[in-house]
Amino acid sequence: MALSGIEIYKLLPQTNCKDCEFPTCLAFAMKLAAKQVELSACPHVSEESKARLAESAEPPVRLIEIKANGNSIQAGNEIALFRHEKTFYHKPGLFVRLRDDMESAALIGVVRAVDAYRVGYVGMDLTVDGFAVEACRGDKEAFAETVASVRQNTRRPLILMSRDAAMIAAGLRAIDGENPLLYAADETNWEAMTELAAEHKAPLAVVAPTLEGLADLTQKAKDKGVMDLVIDPAARDFSESLARATQIRRLAIKHNFRPLGFPLIAFPGECDDLVKEAMLAAQAIAKYAGFIVLDHFSAEAFYPLLALRENIYTDPQKPIQVQPGLYEFNNPTPESPVLVTTNFSITYFSVANEVESSGMPAWLVVADAEGMSVLTAWAAGKFDAERIAKDVKRFEVAGKVTRRRIVLPGQVAVLSGELEEELPDWEVKVGPREAVDLPAYMKQVLL
Amino acid sequence: MPIEIPKDKWPGKIRTVTLGATSEQGGSRGKTVTLGGASTLPFMNFEAPMPHPPQIAFELRDRRPDDWSAVVLDVWGGAADDPAVWARAAEEQGADLLQLSLSLTNAQGNPTTPQMAVAATRKVLESSSLPLMVYGPGQAEADNELLVAVAEATKGERLALGICEDKNYRTIVAAALANDHLVVARAPMDVNLSKQLNILITDMGLPPDRILMDPTCGALGYGIEYGYSVMERLRLAALQGDSMTQNPMTVSVGFESWKTKEAKVGADVPSAWGEWTERGIQWETLTAVTLLEAGADLVILRHPESLRRVRLAIQDLASIAQAA
Amino acid sequence: MAGHTIRFSPQGRVTEAPTGTLLSEAVARAGIDLVQPCGGQGRCGRCVAQVCSGEIRARSTLRLSEADLEAGYVLACQAVVEGDAEISIPPQEELTRHLTSDRTAGAVSLPQGYDPQSSQTIRRIHLDIAPPSTDDQTDDWSRLLGALRRQASIGNISADLNLLRRLGVILRASGWRVVIVLDQPVQNGNARLLDIGPPETDEMPLYGITVDIGTTTVTVWLVDLLTGDVKAQASEYNQQIRRGEDIIARIIYASKNDGGHELRQLVLQTINGLVDTVCQRARTRPEHVVKAAVSGNTTMLHLLLGIPPASIRLTPFVPVVNQPPPLTAAEIGLEIHPRATVDCLPGVASYVGADITAGTLSSGLEHAETTSLFIDVGTNGEIVLGSREWLIACACSAGPAFEGAGVRDGMRATKGAIEEVWISSETLEPTCRVIGGGKPRGLCGSGLISLIAELFLNGLLDKAGNVNVGIEHPRLQMGEHGAEYVLVWAEDTVHGENIVLNHVDVDNLLRAKAAIYAGFSVLAESVGMPLEEAQQVLVGGSFGQYINVEKAIEIGLFPDVAWEKFKFLGNTSVQGAYLALIDRKARQKIADIAARMTYLELSADNTFYEAFTSALFLPHTDMSRFPSVAQKLARPQEKERAP
Repeated sequence: MALSGIEIYKLLPQTNCKDCEFPTCLAFAMKLAAKQVELSACPHVSEESKARLAESAEPPVRLIEIKANGNSIQAGNEIALFRHEKTFYHKPGLFVRLRDDMESAALIGVVRAVDAYRVGYVGMDLTVDGFAVEACRGDKEAFAETVASVRQNTRRPLILMSRDAAMIAAGLRAIDGENPLLYAADETNWEAMTELAAEHKAPLAVVAPTLEGLADLTQKAKDKGVMDLVIDPAARDFSESLARATQIRRLAIKHNFRPLGFPLIAFPGECDDLVKEAMLAAQAIAKYAGFIVLDHFSAEAFYPLLALRENIYTDPQKPIQVQPGLYEFNNPTPESPVLVTTNFSITYFSVANEVESSGMPAWLVVADAEGMSVLTAWAAGKFDAERIAKDVKRFEVAGKVTRRRIVLPGQVAVLSGELEEELPDWEVKVGPREAVDLPAYMKQVLL
Repeated sequence: MPIEIPKDKWPGKIRTVTLGATSEQGGSRGKTVTLGGASTLPFMNFEAPMPHPPQIAFELRDRRPDDWSAVVLDVWGGAADDPAVWARAAEEQGADLLQLSLSLTNAQGNPTTPQMAVAATRKVLESSSLPLMVYGPGQAEADNELLVAVAEATKGERLALGICEDKNYRTIVAAALANDHLVVARAPMDVNLSKQLNILITDMGLPPDRILMDPTCGALGYGIEYGYSVMERLRLAALQGDSMTQNPMTVSVGFESWKTKEAKVGADVPSAWGEWTERGIQWETLTAVTLLEAGADLVILRHPESLRRVRLAIQDLASIAQAA
Repeated sequence: MAGHTIRFSPQGRVTEAPTGTLLSEAVARAGIDLVQPCGGQGRCGRCVAQVCSGEIRARSTLRLSEADLEAGYVLACQAVVEGDAEISIPPQEELTRHLTSDRTAGAVSLPQGYDPQSSQTIRRIHLDIAPPSTDDQTDDWSRLLGALRRQASIGNISADLNLLRRLGVILRASGWRVVIVLDQPVQNGNARLLDIGPPETDEMPLYGITVDIGTTTVTVWLVDLLTGDVKAQASEYNQQIRRGEDIIARIIYASKNDGGHELRQLVLQTINGLVDTVCQRARTRPEHVVKAAVSGNTTMLHLLLGIPPASIRLTPFVPVVNQPPPLTAAEIGLEIHPRATVDCLPGVASYVGADITAGTLSSGLEHAETTSLFIDVGTNGEIVLGSREWLIACACSAGPAFEGAGVRDGMRATKGAIEEVWISSETLEPTCRVIGGGKPRGLCGSGLISLIAELFLNGLLDKAGNVNVGIEHPRLQMGEHGAEYVLVWAEDTVHGENIVLNHVDVDNLLRAKAAIYAGFSVLAESVGMPLEEAQQVLVGGSFGQYINVEKAIEIGLFPDVAWEKFKFLGNTSVQGAYLALIDRKARQKIADIAARMTYLELSADNTFYEAFTSALFLPHTDMSRFPSVAQKLARPQEKERAP
């Protein structure tokens, strides 16, 4: 179980020597509790304390990496059940499944399209992480060929899929030197699969329909020296997938149950109705999957799934922000006034609600104040005339209006002079201090 | 080695809230809809079944909403011109209940009068047998004026009147109290604010089983994670026994999803966004499913195909697991 | 640049100002002193001026009523000269002094078993120095060192050039019998020669001062170093107030033009004036003050030392110096003995300064057996949680609402301020206690806390602080910002206008109290301890003294713990500085406190914000934290149901 800051503090030397580069032992202890620093930063901790602290520091879900010649994807190392408690760290890898019975040209077409797919989202390029290649024909040569052909058309990490260890071995030969995920070891084939995984230092997925079966398999694999494991609880519908994923995550995190302390793999494409695939993938993103293998690739489904994955895996401790930008209310025209506020969500919401309900058309510049409220941002130097002017230019506000009127929040009336200097063609006005007074202000002053 | 399934035991549970009243109950609805009652986190069927699985509403407007995405307007076609027709169509498409949003003005730009609001509400009630939620235009004065009239004209129907916010809740709550209706209490993505509003409303004497919480969700790609976590936290607080967070949650998924650029705009967008209609439906559907996992008891949608898909997910999620 | 002529009445001054000049600058240029408590941010509304004629453009009309605007009033700090103009500057409200800590020397007791000889770093030593001869041509300085080594066992001392220049004359004039004054901060360590004089110097007393520089108030104590006794105390508003009421306003003012220099001069004037006052009261002279211990928040110490404070307010909120080295009075500009040691006490962080480390010592938190809370309530609320084992501190910006600023009828705790309010639950009519008696002018912080508590408990405010419009009462009326409560009718006030509390005021107060309470809860949470388990709540700060615990708990400012756990200690900062002045060990303890106090930066994550919104309710969103208030609330609800 994780220790609190004070509990950790009591295990530290309490000398405040600063050798860890934190001002006090308590500050260091609190960082340790938050898992934001390594214990090794303290050169003076006793062996006894070290042992006790190491125990509480080991991640309950093991970090697993699939590697392919410099490209890799990681999953695991998670320490929370709910994202508000602690960031979910390793975004689940999104994979597209290919089968060796696909016509070669079609297969290459899919690989190239998926490999090339990238979509812009808030300044990032989101891409698909890799491919799962499944042996369906029972022909080792054909499988090896397919794997080789996939590898010729993408550098992304791979998952090799077959219950036949010989098949997997053939696939591995086609991508010598890589550490793909091997899927999957079950009750019957686990020995051969484990040997392959050990030989190729590849992570191994185990599949079983019960928790006991899964724990049994991971234990056997560990006994053979294979530590990098991935779990497939073999549930394919919404209800069962959610139940299994939750139970496994709970056992790992709340009960520190090592046999199930591994990332999960999900197959949303293996369902009875294809419209469910994207929805099952969305559930897997929110609820604990480490790798997700989809059977169908489409931009309409992958864009929202990739965006959702970014959303769920953001740091929940950052203040709630809205996207800086120029927002429109009540169909503004070039004559409508331009209001300014910060991108702290509550600030934005209170302003937006009032402007919206005023019924009067207006533009709202939501300036990038790093998610702080107006006064806090001003006090910290994140909301000054220079920054406001920069955002007014960045959002090309001048091109949207003919009558250049800009309204500052009343709390920062002090900025009016500087803003006049920064925006010489603009009429700078000072609005009310409280959002609730905006409608009255807009009706009286801005007509 | 046998593994004990880790089951959570919670001291608290979600209140049940029933919308709509049949003729025996003093209203005119063909059925009622009950939300809530859960004693576990969403869909943890291995701990306890969900007594009332999440429900789906369609959002309608009192007049054709020209600012809606063309994808949605096209699918409803001429029905969107008349709330009576729209309500009937929505019921046929499988909604569990309806949510009517009143406009600030009529098509000519004149303010919506209480008479107009009452007329639109009556049309919906007469052409559909489903329980109804009625939201004002979102401006304090207009909301109060229109919703009071609607509440009085529909006394006993157990409508859900919205939206109560911390700056404007008294009038709507008083109208609900006097006319046997419910209210929807919306707070901007904040656990404390949701809870505070519930306290304020119950302090006025409205029984808690007549309050729905709207925690404000945010669409996929546009802050869904905040709504998601706020809902998870509210649900956890409720199960831990915090009485003022134990109300069922409703989320305006259609409103949030279809105002995103991805769902609203068809032309001049990156090719990596894919085809417009399917993209819009995915946006609404995946937003809904994600929020259902976080604890939504009612999702309000706009597109019929989204409803069909989300229904599939709910039916599956709410089914009792075989094993375990 | 074309200058415009600006005429001011009734002062009869004239100045020239180019287009675009701020009216407040023109006022200053004309030599008229116009107080700007908010530092020219257009927030306080104190710098009003009336435009009789001419071209003046107002950027902001905040704080002015429609009638004001019609009459031509502008805020000087928000108005721009665009042509010739005639301006009338109305006489400003005088800052009536109501500093209770002035003169009333609190019962300051010496630490138990205090021995000035061993505790004090200042030493006065008689030396008999062997005169030189042709047989012994040792230089004067070495002679003095030799005598010191033999007669007082002090090995290593330093002296400044001014003393060396005078050394030979003094030794010879006094016939090689002298008295020297040394400062030896570490026992048996190096010492610094402060002064040397003829033997009769012995008659002269040795004084020290403690200085506490608050953002609002500066306090100076004069201490007899020979006994440790406090001889006189005096307090005065920090003259920097006119350049900004809060820390942020001062920091911004300091970064503009010559603002830092001006602020330094203003605080020096304040301190030097107070030193004169205490010296007069004790019938001595400032040159007899040979040591000073200075406490204050980090920004105040930066401003005193002339160190630019800009980095304090910007991420990552790092001050230039937390532990200034020992300095001399001359280099700082303190008008006491020029070589007097000035010991600026160590701080911990930008917003946890020497005032808190000193307060942690004097409040007794530093040696508390069980976990306790110490809070210094002011514009900023600094909170320390801990015991003799560990200490953790944070600072939360409460804003100036408790000082009466940002509130329509708010004012400082001066004459005419309502400091306590009772509202009859029968008639909903109020009774007020006014500082100095007589008609009220406005509400001070304690009055505001008490008013809000009373309105809330009587059902006139809901838990969100909204005025309950459901109640019909003549005192509830609609104002500029919606519903408001009239506390005093116009005919009963000094200025002939209603004293009211509106929704914006309540919001401001709620934010201030929520910030403080959130600070408490985040600290407690950070170490995994329920707040209610604190064994003592030690409240420092001069404002803290006037807070009524019951009312403060009712609005959720203080945690709901038994009243007897609260201890109100007054100005803990100056008390701590006093201990540091007279006791080497106490000074070392403050250094230890600074070294072991862990600072929790509240802006680092969401935790504070969560706690803040949770506390932004009356008394709190989580009612189970305030069981005593929950009990009281049962009563008015019953009444509401009655006709």
